[in-house]
Amino acid sequence: MSRRPLPLLLLPLVLAGCPSEATWEEAFDASTEGALSGVWGSGPDDVWIVGGWMDEAQIFHFDGADWGESEAPDVPLLAWVVGWGPDSALSVGVDGAAASWDGNAWTALDTGVDGDLWGVWGASPDDVWIVGGDAGDPDSEPILLHYDGSTFTDVGLDPEQNTRDASALFKVFGVGGRVWAVGQGGLLVEKQGDDWVAVGAGAEANQDFVSLWGPSADTVVAVGGRGNARLSTWDGATWSTIAPEGVGGLNAVFMEDASRAIVGGISGYVGAFDPATGELEPEAVLGTEDVHAIWGDGEGTHYAVGGRFSEPLSGLAAVRTE
Amino acid sequence: MNPTRTALLVSLGLLALPACQKGHGPVAEGVSGPMGSALPDATAEQLEVFFRGEALAQKRFSRADGLGPGFNVTFCGACHEKPTFGGSAGLYRSFSLAGRTTPDGAFLPAVSVGNASGVVRLYTYGETHGADHEPIDDANQIVGKRNPIPFFGVGLLAELDESEILRRADPDDRNGDGISGRPNYDRGFVGRFGVKAQTVSIEGFIRGPLNNHLGITTEPLTNAQKAALPVPSADLVASREGDWATFVGHMAQVAAPDGPLTDDDAVADPELSTDDLFDLVSWAMLLAAPEVEEPGEQELRGIAHFDRSRCGDCHTPRLEGPRGPLPVYSDLLLHDMGPELDDGHPFGEATSSEFRTQPLWGLTAVGPYLHDGRATTIEEAIAMHGGEAEASRDRWLQGTEQERADGIAFLVSLGGRDQQSGGLLRPGEPVADVGDWGGPVRELTSDEATRFENGRRLFDHEFGFEEGVGGPRFNGDSCRACHFEPVFGGAGPRGVNVIRHGILNGDGAFVPPSVGTILHRETALLTQINRPQTQATHFEARQTPHLFGLGLIESIPASVIEAGADPEDANGDGISGRVSRVDGGRLGRLGWKAQVPSIAEFVRDAVTAELGMTLPIQEGLTFGRVQDNDDVPDPEFARSDAEDLAFYLSTLAPPPRGPVGPDEQAGAAVFSAVGCDGCHTPSLDGADGPVPLYSDLLLHQMLPDGTPGIEDTSASMTEFRTAPLWGLRSTGPYMHSGIADTIERAIVHHAGEADAARDAFLALDPADRAALLAFLESL
Repeated sequence: MSRRPLPLLLLPLVLAGCPSEATWEEAFDASTEGALSGVWGSGPDDVWIVGGWMDEAQIFHFDGADWGESEAPDVPLLAWVVGWGPDSALSVGVDGAAASWDGNAWTALDTGVDGDLWGVWGASPDDVWIVGGDAGDPDSEPILLHYDGSTFTDVGLDPEQNTRDASALFKVFGVGGRVWAVGQGGLLVEKQGDDWVAVGAGAEANQDFVSLWGPSADTVVAVGGRGNARLSTWDGATWSTIAPEGVGGLNAVFMEDASRAIVGGISGYVGAFDPATGELEPEAVLGTEDVHAIWGDGEGTHYAVGGRFSEPLSGLAAVRTE
Repeated sequence: MNPTRTALLVSLGLLALPACQKGHGPVAEGVSGPMGSALPDATAEQLEVFFRGEALAQKRFSRADGLGPGFNVTFCGACHEKPTFGGSAGLYRSFSLAGRTTPDGAFLPAVSVGNASGVVRLYTYGETHGADHEPIDDANQIVGKRNPIPFFGVGLLAELDESEILRRADPDDRNGDGISGRPNYDRGFVGRFGVKAQTVSIEGFIRGPLNNHLGITTEPLTNAQKAALPVPSADLVASREGDWATFVGHMAQVAAPDGPLTDDDAVADPELSTDDLFDLVSWAMLLAAPEVEEPGEQELRGIAHFDRSRCGDCHTPRLEGPRGPLPVYSDLLLHDMGPELDDGHPFGEATSSEFRTQPLWGLTAVGPYLHDGRATTIEEAIAMHGGEAEASRDRWLQGTEQERADGIAFLVSLGGRDQQSGGLLRPGEPVADVGDWGGPVRELTSDEATRFENGRRLFDHEFGFEEGVGGPRFNGDSCRACHFEPVFGGAGPRGVNVIRHGILNGDGAFVPPSVGTILHRETALLTQINRPQTQATHFEARQTPHLFGLGLIESIPASVIEAGADPEDANGDGISGRVSRVDGGRLGRLGWKAQVPSIAEFVRDAVTAELGMTLPIQEGLTFGRVQDNDDVPDPEFARSDAEDLAFYLSTLAPPPRGPVGPDEQAGAAVFSAVGCDGCHTPSLDGADGPVPLYSDLLLHQMLPDGTPGIEDTSASMTEFRTAPLWGLRSTGPYMHSGIADTIERAIVHHAGEADAARDAFLALDPADRAALLAFLESL
């Protein structure tokens, strides 16, 4: 793996008057690194960020001390990354791109599809779900793939369960034996046995859900909203959705425990959401670009990545400490 | 007003109005101007951008520019033209929104030839004459209408700090006045544009309609471009100071949708560059606010009635912007307007019955009123207020006749009086010279000139529902709605095409739908889309032909036209030519299928078929309906008006010929050599001499055998009247379906009896081809 040290700019990004004690800083200058879209790590000293340009992926790695650029396979922009340890990660991206990390190198995989892949999650490396689709084409169907570690299978979504006429699913996530996927128009589906079944999230679930995360099968938060924020909480029995006033669409969510979700969205917004009270507190604005993903290392540090997907592409990478 | 504040306003040069009632105070200087003009303090550089943007707003987009694949109009100004570019539009530019509700209660906007945020796109742009009609899925039964709203002063509204809007919000009606008022939000910022205040940024307010109504894709402005916009949209890092609210306020214009828009037509995305988008956004931002008049005695009494009725509780007289007080007469908040106005469509955080308080500046010049244009007059609009406005409405209506008249006089004084007309004619606009575009064919007597001007006024007049438009279906609310290229009386762009439809039975025979072959663009039933008859299998656009020189065409004796007919192709030249016979054996000479015998019948036909209005019975005339199903007493269109319209059309000059040089002369010879004149007869003898219309006014088979089409009167599915070529240079697009953007493409699309001429054209060497096109361009 080749690594190029990147400058770490200690630019404090916290807002004056912000109620949180958290401090957000630039992780590294990503303004010329394409758009950044996904972040995941196996621990504090092994964090991956993926993104790039529409025709060329970029991968960055943090080893606990420095950020460096990792050699990306010849695939277009990578949108999301997930893994199962220091030697096992999988990333997917636009035009059906996928790449796997084996501890030594990233290798391109043939998914057999050419649609955009926006999300990946797996209980294990041989039980992985991948979602995507062309949200701009209302005539197309969402992509739902399963990967068993060697073969990608196009599972597809039963049109009967596509209650929002969605053309794309954006993220998939599982915890405690349950797996959900979210997508366009507020679509929320859950894997029940061999089937993916639509789950109602209420009248406010009328805009895209972009991402979801949860610490247990009793607490999961889905976020979205192309215009204004949507936050939907699974309490172990039902999904309920709120539309907080004055917050733009959200793209990113990460939860270390049930008490708080760190969320991010358009125009650099990051905030903290309490699923129990439904309160959302703004924390900072990380510049002009949209936040697309947030991940925490379990030891109090969170990373947020994002960027602009239209020309000129640009990225952001920030780190939160408190 | 406290003295310190007053002194400050004076020091800032703000205008003071005499004897101002509560809230109707001074207005900031340098914010107002005639509608359509730029802000008075715009810099020279900004003016340059303004005029570039204005030109773009009038640019007619074609397929080569990326128009479609689904669209409603071909240019921005189509919906923002009244009383001038940047304004509103008549009912003919209203559009439909459709959607449905999911079982768990979420509203889903319909898809219409791609994702258009629920906007129903009426047109597609195919490679054949048949329109690729894509009806909205029947599941989308929630339909609402929108009438375009004006842009005047929107840059000033964009400058408002959010706190100026939020401070009037009272979502839970804590003051118990029956009026709540709450903000809408867009991308987290307080929305201020659109009938539901669903948009915060002017960039978003332009990119959305460009996509939804024109099918023109864009990418967001770059940060550098946003920073250079006339409304401060500074980069975020620089403005990231102070508290959260201040920061959010500064961001508002930067918060335009940041994703690229794409479609699946043949033109690469984005179809409009960010440089052009910058000009359009800047133009809108620089449009001056309407000039509110200094109130006279009646207007001051009107203010009193306005205040007594507490209209100002929502129609806030002044909003405080960075330049000073703005006479917006709106709080820019959402209010529940009651079940009668509920359109079924939530937007952002607005419910289906909530609407933004519509600004009243410039009111008189931008009707019709309310979100769907259901109110023809200001009085009607007031009477239709409901919900939170019900009490104010009742107080207004309980006023004496004089008080109400005073109130209306005040509302009329809020700008635009000098520019208001019944349509788009500017007040006092002179008639064009004799023989010029839109002018009379000859010198007119004084009486004739009066009739001509009245006919022109009627031609331009936008009729409202109150006057009988829609019975219930309609295509336009005026004659000019479809006939305005290059001037009133002319042709129309694709965005006003009429759609014809029909049923082809198992044998391929044509069966007209029970509602007739016209699939009207609109219906006066405001919760419905005018859906086609379910059995309809064929859809075909009809381009709007120009009307110049109709009187000369009418002057051609039937015998002259009949003399050119050769229905059995007795001379063996491959061209037949049939006379069209209308009921009673009359010769048809007007319309794409020569289905109309005279100008008088054409007027009656158009008034009924296009406007949905009724006429009185008139001996000798058979076209037009005398009764319809709306609540307006029949006849809705006076005989004298129909006669003045017919006089105007019969007196309109033919299209003036362009310059004719050697190329054009050579082209005329080629025109004849390739056989175009086999049908496009250069002239026919009229009552006063040759009429150079370039048509034989006969029906010819213009499509290959078996091609599906629309039968009309005596014309078969594949037959069309030879289209007169005079005026060709300024009246595109071409062919009956408007399929051809250029004259050359129109020739290529000729078929049937024109096969030989078309092939001869295609075989021409480049010089001859260029000469022929130059000749045609000169017509």
